[in-house]
Amino acid sequence: MRLLRFKTPDGHPALGARIGDEVINLTELGCPGTLDELLRHGAAGMASAKAAIEKATKRLPLSSVQLLPPIHHPHKAFAIGLNYVDHAHEGNFTPPTQPVLFHRFPTSWVAHGVPIERPKASHEFDYEGEIVAIIGKAGKYITKEKALDHVAGYSIFNDGSIRDFQFRSSQWMWGKNFDRSGGFGPEFITADEVPAGMVGMNIETRLNGQVMQKANTRDMIFDVATLVVACSEGMELHPGDMIITGTPAGVGFARKPPVFMKAGDVCEVVVEGLGTLSNPIINEA
Amino acid sequence: MRLFTFEKAGKPTIGLLRTPAAQEYIDLEIAGYEFCHDMVALLSQPDWRDSLDAILEEEPLQAIKPVANVKFLPLVQNPGKIICVGLNYADHAKEGGHAIPEHPSFFLRVNSSQIAHQQPMKVPKASAKLDYEAELAVVVGKQARHLTLDNALDCVAGYSCYNDGSVRDYQRKGTQWTLGKNFDATGSFGPWLVTKDELPPGGDGLKIQTRLNGQTLQDGNTSNFLFDVKTVLKIVSECMTLEPGDVIITGTPAGVGYARTPPIFMKAGDICEIEIEKIGVLLNTISNE
Repeated sequence: MRLLRFKTPDGHPALGARIGDEVINLTELGCPGTLDELLRHGAAGMASAKAAIEKATKRLPLSSVQLLPPIHHPHKAFAIGLNYVDHAHEGNFTPPTQPVLFHRFPTSWVAHGVPIERPKASHEFDYEGEIVAIIGKAGKYITKEKALDHVAGYSIFNDGSIRDFQFRSSQWMWGKNFDRSGGFGPEFITADEVPAGMVGMNIETRLNGQVMQKANTRDMIFDVATLVVACSEGMELHPGDMIITGTPAGVGFARKPPVFMKAGDVCEVVVEGLGTLSNPIINEA
Repeated sequence: MRLFTFEKAGKPTIGLLRTPAAQEYIDLEIAGYEFCHDMVALLSQPDWRDSLDAILEEEPLQAIKPVANVKFLPLVQNPGKIICVGLNYADHAKEGGHAIPEHPSFFLRVNSSQIAHQQPMKVPKASAKLDYEAELAVVVGKQARHLTLDNALDCVAGYSCYNDGSVRDYQRKGTQWTLGKNFDATGSFGPWLVTKDELPPGGDGLKIQTRLNGQTLQDGNTSNFLFDVKTVLKIVSECMTLEPGDVIITGTPAGVGYARTPPIFMKAGDICEIEIEKIGVLLNTISNE
């Protein structure tokens, strides 16, 4: 299933399923209003969404709805640093031997199609195309064998980064949490629609149509299962928690000369099997 | 004024202490205050202070209860953000082998790592290196972005104590401290919010201490911040919009366990107390996960 959160033409938030160019309003058919809540209902939640899709008689054109970020309010949204060898090298970092975690607040991202903001405080606004794994089943001290059972599905993330602030101290959190600096979406794809662990999928970031990052998820240093293990050690993962899995080489700050995003640009992250996340760039008002 | 969150019939409720040393509090639900279940919702009311002053004055007898039996909850249960400042006292930076920083470093905690006053803090199965960190917590009371040093303190509702419990080996596993700062049941927050009118501007000049089983292990003063509260607020609000209920934890002074010779880590049965002058004592027993 391809699920999305959207505002109906009359402005109500709802959960939907996309079928081609059309959307079924699942909330109208008795499903919860957010994916967070649907995931909390586990297998029963997913079954109710499937049943609603089957009995649906009414569809909205996709073009008539305004998308919202797929997850509304995760307990945790971990992001993984330096998870592709070539990206570690371009930033002059040693590839890590353990997953490196930082965190993003939900206030730092917007939905597909919504502008992301270059802040007043800096012009070093950089893109990072990534896949995000979304947890569907709670667990702590999860083993690698069972790890993918805890992943409900995937989406796309643009881990927009304010580079000068990111590198002001050893802790990157600062440059990774500017208001509305990241993109998330367009939709949530259940794990059964893609290869296990999203292994072997192409990922590309394009800025104004030019390919800036081009890689394959098989080159991740720590695969999705390993990241689930690392993020659940001592911390219980909950349905709706997000693991943003890291970006490959080709980011703007490491280019010669550096490339940063500016108002009027359009940034797209294209992931095989997941679709395209596109965000225009504006200046902070 | 002092506000705290406690559990009543399985539901979070907010209590109002009548005086700093009060043995009794006013249950805001019984007193009929609408926003009595969630500190974020309460602080989001532009007139919360006036409403609560009116309740204090009215002294609703049926709502007055003894503090003794209260089951505390984390002061703010679901803040939008918990932002932590690293290395904000020169002596603490030095004991960890860090240079005095030019900029503050920020990391964050997730809500699921929080516990309350008097709840057990957990030594995780994965590590025996659970360390204490006494910190002054700032609670935001007003939406704010792009603050200046002159107006930064306007957005503060008040102050509290935080024990930024840290799993040291996990904190140092990678370059980012996130992992070691977010184990379940390692961050203690409370016992109460002291409104800013009762404290010096910016919480400046307050003694801050950690006692482990009665032994004083940290003994600092907030006047030794490298980046004071108004500077931190200015810098954070350059990056993100602060919202009512957001929490900023301002860093810890020297004396943490891992930097001692020999190192000290907390273990089951220990009692850890964080005391900040004019605010109070945040107490937690330690137990195994």
